[in-house]
Amino acid sequence: MEILNTLVELLNDHIRYRRQIFKLAKSDVIKKYSGSALGWSWAVIRPAITIFVYWFAFQIGVRRGRPINGYPYFLWMISGMVPWFYIRDSLYTGSSSIRKYKYLVKKIKYPVGTIPTFVSLSHLAVNIVLQFIMLVIYIAYGDRPDIYYLQIILVNIGMFVFWTSWSLFSSMLSAMSSDFLNFVKSAVPALFWLSGVLYQVSRIRSGFLRKCLLWNPVTITANTYRNSLIYKKWIWETPTEMRNYIIITVIMIILAVWAYRRLKKDIPDVL
Amino acid sequence: MSNLDNDIAISLKNVTKTYTLYKNDRVRFKAIFFKNIKGKKSNAISDLSFDIKKGEMVALLGRNGAGKSTLLKMITGVTYPTSGEISIDGRVSALLELTAGFDGELSGRENIYFRASLMSMTNREIKDIEPDIVEFSELGEYIDQPVRTYSSGMKARLGFAINVNIDPEILIVDEALSVGDQSFKKKCTAKIHELVEDKNITFLFVTHSTKMAAEFCTRGIVMKKGKMIFDSDIESAIDFYDDMIEKEDEAKKKKKAKKREERLKAKKEVIG
Repeated sequence: MEILNTLVELLNDHIRYRRQIFKLAKSDVIKKYSGSALGWSWAVIRPAITIFVYWFAFQIGVRRGRPINGYPYFLWMISGMVPWFYIRDSLYTGSSSIRKYKYLVKKIKYPVGTIPTFVSLSHLAVNIVLQFIMLVIYIAYGDRPDIYYLQIILVNIGMFVFWTSWSLFSSMLSAMSSDFLNFVKSAVPALFWLSGVLYQVSRIRSGFLRKCLLWNPVTITANTYRNSLIYKKWIWETPTEMRNYIIITVIMIILAVWAYRRLKKDIPDVL
Repeated sequence: MSNLDNDIAISLKNVTKTYTLYKNDRVRFKAIFFKNIKGKKSNAISDLSFDIKKGEMVALLGRNGAGKSTLLKMITGVTYPTSGEISIDGRVSALLELTAGFDGELSGRENIYFRASLMSMTNREIKDIEPDIVEFSELGEYIDQPVRTYSSGMKARLGFAINVNIDPEILIVDEALSVGDQSFKKKCTAKIHELVEDKNITFLFVTHSTKMAAEFCTRGIVMKKGKMIFDSDIESAIDFYDDMIEKEDEAKKKKKAKKREERLKAKKEVIG
């Protein structure tokens, strides 16, 4: 019950401060890329290099250039990789968002619960640009846009809800203790390599491991993205994934609200 | 809430602020999950109650650590009281410390928009007051430079300019007037007088300088160790405060002298 009240309070803060949230998200994006000579191109260069490295290791190295389901490995990979960049940002920067925007907590009256939201929004905005570039690459390879492309919007909403809740949860805890922040940062590679971004989870032999990996939100997001672009499947055609994602999202929201409720009053004193 | 006290701007009822100190960050983190881990508690404010009427100009006096800043932060809504109740009636504009919540990466002008929008002003309203703020802050062309390049005096000027120009109903100033040169100080003084006299705002001022307090305020509250020990018109409050400080300093001196004497005695005894 109390959790529900806090959730309503959080949502109210978001509605009341919606203009400021978008403003802050915008200035967060601008701040990230202004002040360097190449400016905006970094938003593309950095992920491009990461993609190249993984593509080289897997295409040239491990897989010897075999395509997956008739799709070139490069195409198959980027549809998991691009959403991952948003997730990675949420894990690293999202977790430290309250620390980063300390002055909003300590110097002016501002609803702390909305800080992770605008940081998450700023990551998503940059990521959507990347997603567009990716779609252009797909089309250039000869893919025809169809009705399944619309499902990408749903993927983004699901991603945003889960990882914004996560950011609230972890940035509240990280504000209390830098140990937690370090723990999160060291867990990021595990979350990445134990997911279906670079390889097909469906080809893992052990049924138990396959089931486990289907609880990793990164796997589900990558799979759903590929279902929209490559396999042409709606989310209800993969009910296990859909069910798992809903369950972990609900759990994440509860954890986020709990952390907010528990720590909201302490954070201005500790930070 | 009762409608009788319509003319009350700030009301505190049995407000207590307790800080919990833990041995280190790890213990603090554990305490989030386990209720049986207890830290050392210390009260920054204990059981404080008072009302401030609309249009009053109040000075908060007290030594370092008396709880003045904690109190202002709670009135501003930046921190929360551990127990008790604070009710505020009116738009609070606060100048806490010098840097006062600027985003260092944004320019001065962008910060104006940002801060004003946090006070729920629309873009059009901000555009109307922007020239006033720029002029008041005397920043000239620096207004379009990022705030991180500003000196502390420039930041304070900008902060002050924003806070007095966004049409506050309750203005809170914490020591910020102590920077800036004489002419800027004079301008601030004039502006505050104007706000108080023409717009009937409530003004809360924290300072160590009794001279400044006397200039602005009509009522003085003296605090010591988180408690209010004196509340009256400003002249008596200043007398009380000066008296208190003198006594305390004397007591300290005496203590020191006594210690030294004891040490000397001990030495003599050893030699003797």
